[in-house]
Amino acid sequence: MPDAIAIKGVRKTFGTKVAVENLDLVVPEGSLCGFIGPNGAGKTTTIRLIMSILFPDSGELRVLGKASAIESKDRIGYLPEERGIYKKMRVGEFLRYIARLKGIDAAPADAKVRQWLTRVGLEETYRKKCEELSKGMQQKVQFISAVIHEPDLLILDEVFTGLDPVNRRLMRELISEQRRAGRTIIFSTHAMREAEELCDHLFMINNGIKVLDLPMSEVWRRYDPRTITVEPIAGGPSLREVSEAWGRIPDVLRVVMGPGAEPGTCDLMLRDDADPAGVMRAVAASITPRRLELRRASLEDIFISIVGISADELERQNSSQGQEVARA
Amino acid sequence: MRKVFIIAIKEFLATAATKGFIFGMLFPPIILGAIITIMPLLMNKKPPAVFGHVAVIDRSGAVAPRLVEAFAPEAVENRRKERTAKVREAIDQGAKSAGLDPDTTKAISGELDKSLKAAEELAPVTSLRVVVLPPETGEEEAKEEIRKAGKRNEAPPVGAADPGPGPRLALIVIPDQAVRGSDAAQPGARFGEYQLLTAPRLDVEVQSDLRSQANRAIVDARLALAGENVAQIRELMQSPAAKETTVTADGTASINEVTKLIVPAAFMFLLWISVFSSGQYLLMSTIEEKSSRVMEVILSAVSPMQLMCGKIIGKGAVGVLILALYSGVGITALIFFAVAELVPWQNLVYLGVYFALAYAVIACFMAAVGAAVNDINEAQTLMGPIMLILVIPMMLWLPILRNPNSTFAEVCSFVPMINPFVMVLRLCGSEPIPFWQVPASIAVGMATVLFMAWASAKIFRIGVLMYGKPPNFATLVRWVRMA
Repeated sequence: MPDAIAIKGVRKTFGTKVAVENLDLVVPEGSLCGFIGPNGAGKTTTIRLIMSILFPDSGELRVLGKASAIESKDRIGYLPEERGIYKKMRVGEFLRYIARLKGIDAAPADAKVRQWLTRVGLEETYRKKCEELSKGMQQKVQFISAVIHEPDLLILDEVFTGLDPVNRRLMRELISEQRRAGRTIIFSTHAMREAEELCDHLFMINNGIKVLDLPMSEVWRRYDPRTITVEPIAGGPSLREVSEAWGRIPDVLRVVMGPGAEPGTCDLMLRDDADPAGVMRAVAASITPRRLELRRASLEDIFISIVGISADELERQNSSQGQEVARA
Repeated sequence: MRKVFIIAIKEFLATAATKGFIFGMLFPPIILGAIITIMPLLMNKKPPAVFGHVAVIDRSGAVAPRLVEAFAPEAVENRRKERTAKVREAIDQGAKSAGLDPDTTKAISGELDKSLKAAEELAPVTSLRVVVLPPETGEEEAKEEIRKAGKRNEAPPVGAADPGPGPRLALIVIPDQAVRGSDAAQPGARFGEYQLLTAPRLDVEVQSDLRSQANRAIVDARLALAGENVAQIRELMQSPAAKETTVTADGTASINEVTKLIVPAAFMFLLWISVFSSGQYLLMSTIEEKSSRVMEVILSAVSPMQLMCGKIIGKGAVGVLILALYSGVGITALIFFAVAELVPWQNLVYLGVYFALAYAVIACFMAAVGAAVNDINEAQTLMGPIMLILVIPMMLWLPILRNPNSTFAEVCSFVPMINPFVMVLRLCGSEPIPFWQVPASIAVGMATVLFMAWASAKIFRIGVLMYGKPPNFATLVRWVRMA
C-alpha cells in the first residue's frame, strides 16, 4: 500500500527551541492514525509541517506522493487546532468560499454545502451568521469545511475538544464514515477514549521526539494486561485482611488500595512474566469475589506510563493554556 | 491564479457590499448631487411679498429727501439691475481668467442669466414707501406703530388704487449729529450714530438694503453740506478692476490662481483617500483573519502568497471603486458646469498610473503589518513612523504646488512611497515639469513596489501564524532576512 505521508529525519527549530527532532513517520493510505502527546510536544508543528504551512529545517517530507502539500492542497482536508471562522459571514457563504478555494465549482459547491449541513443537523443555519452559532455548531461547520471537497487525506487537530457527549458521538461517526470512504485520516487528540475506539495506528510524540509509533494491535500486545481488579462480596473478610496474603503471591508485584484504585476494590499489579490465570485462581480461592477482572491497559495508562502525566492534567493544561506562541 | 481571484472577489465583496461602505462612500456624493439638483427645487418657493413703510425722523433735515428718492420704485429697480450686472461681470472675468474658450464662456453666461433670473424671481417683492415724520416726533410713539404692525407678510389690499403706506416695518432716526458732527466749527468731527429699528423677522435682504441706503444718504448729505459734488465723488470712489495675466514660456495666459491650486490638490487628496481607505480595509481584514484564527483554515487551501495577492487585489478593487466614484462625481460636476477643460484627460491617466503604484506599495505594507500584529493597537505602533513619511505630501502640498519645479518638489518626486502623491500634485499643476521626471518617477515607484512585495511576502508568510509578543521593526527586518 503506498504511503499517504512519509516523513524522514525532519527537524524544525524556532530560535533555540527544538520543536521536532529527527522525526520519522509513515502513514499508509487508508489508515486512521491517532497522534497523541502532551501539550507542547510538537504535534501541531508536525501537522503544520505536513500541511506545508511551516517548512522543515532539514529532512524529507512527502505528502500524497508529492514533495509538498502545496502541490496537493485540494486533496487534503485540514481542521486546525485553532479553529477560525469569519464571524460576520453567513454559514452557507463561508462553506461555499472554502469549497471554492478547495477547487469545487460554484454550483456543486452550494449543493454540497446544503447536503453537509443537513447531514450534521444544521440545515437551518445556512443563512445564519457564523457568530450566531454555538461553539459546538461552529465546530461542525469547521469540520464540514475540512471534508467538503472529499479529500484523500484528512488531518484533524484536536477534533473532539469542546464537544459535548452527543456531538462527540456524532464526530466519531463522521470520522468513521470518512474512513469507510477510504480516506487516510490523522487526528491529534487528548481524548484517549476516542483514540482507542477509532485508531488503527498510534503515534506519540514527546518533547519533539517520537516515542511511540505502532499499530493499535501491537500497542495492546506490547502493553499486555498487568493488573487484576478484585471487589469482594459484601459480608466476607475485609480487603485489608486478605490483601496482605495476596501480596505474598509470587507473581504479584504490589497491591494498590484506596487512592489509585476504585472505591471498594483493590488492584493487584503483576510482574512482567506473571501468569495472570494462576493469580486469579489464587485470589478466587481466598475470598468470594463480586468482581474479579483482568484489566486491559487503557490508552491513558499507556500515555501516562510513557509521558508521566495524566490525561486529566493534560486537559487542565489545555484549558488553562493562554496565548500560544505558534511560530511559523 | 483561480484561487487568487476567488479570494480577491471575496475581499472586494466583504468590503464593498457592506452597509457601512455603501453608506460611507456613496452617501457623500449622493448628498452633494442632491444639494446641486434638489435644493434649488426646494428653494424655488417665492418668498412672501414685503409690503409696508419705513418711517424716518430726520432731525438734520438733510437725509430724508435722499431716502425718499432711494426707495422710489424706479430707484429700487435700478439697484437690482446694477447688482445683476456686477455679478455677470465678475463671473465673466472669472471664466476668462480660468482660461476658458469663448464658447464655454458664452455657455456659462447663458447659465448665469438663467440663474440670475431665477434669483430675481426668488428675491422678496419689496413694496416699501418712506414716510417722513416730523423731526419732533417721539421715538417711543413712532416705535409703537411697529409693534402694532404685526406680521411682516401682510399683503397690499387687492384692487385698491392706492394701497396706502401699509404697516410700519422700520423706523430710521437720524440725529443732527450723525450728519453735521458734534462740533459745528469742525465739519466731520465725531459723527454720531443713527438708529435703525425694525419689525421682528423683517426680511434680511430688506434690512440690508435699508442699512446701506441710509448709510449712503447720510454720507451724501454730509458731502453736500461740505459743499462737495456728490455725484463726482461717487464716480471717483469706484474701485478699479484688475486684469490678471500670467506670463508663461509659451506667451501669456490668463490663469486663475484658484484653478492652479484646487485642481491638483483635489487630485492628490482623491489619490490619498482612495489609497489609504483601501489600505486600511486591507489592514483590518488581515488582522481580523489572524485574530479570529481563520487564517490557518485558509492557508490549508492556498499558499500565503496566494492569500496575500488575493487580498491586495480585492481591496485594490475597492480603492479603484472609491477613485472612480469620486472622480466620476467630480468630472460630472465639471461637465455640468461646462468647465471640463480644467481637467485634461492626461491627468486622469496619470491619476490611474500613480494610484496603481501608490496602492501597491501601501497595500504590501499594510498586509505585512496586518499579518505581523495581533490587534489594531499593535498595528498603529508599527505604522506610526511610516505614516509620518506618508503625510508629507498632505502637509506640504501648498509649497510644492506653489513651486512645482523647486528642488524640494523634485527630490520628493523620487522618494519611495510619497513620490506618486507628489507627482500627481506636480503634473496636475499649471506649471509644466520636465518630461523625463515622469518615467523616472514611475520607475522609482515600480522598484519600490517590487521591493515591498518581496519583503511583505516574507513577513506575511511568517507573521500570519505568529501570536503572542507583538513584533517591532527589528523583528520584521529579521523575518525578512530569515524567511
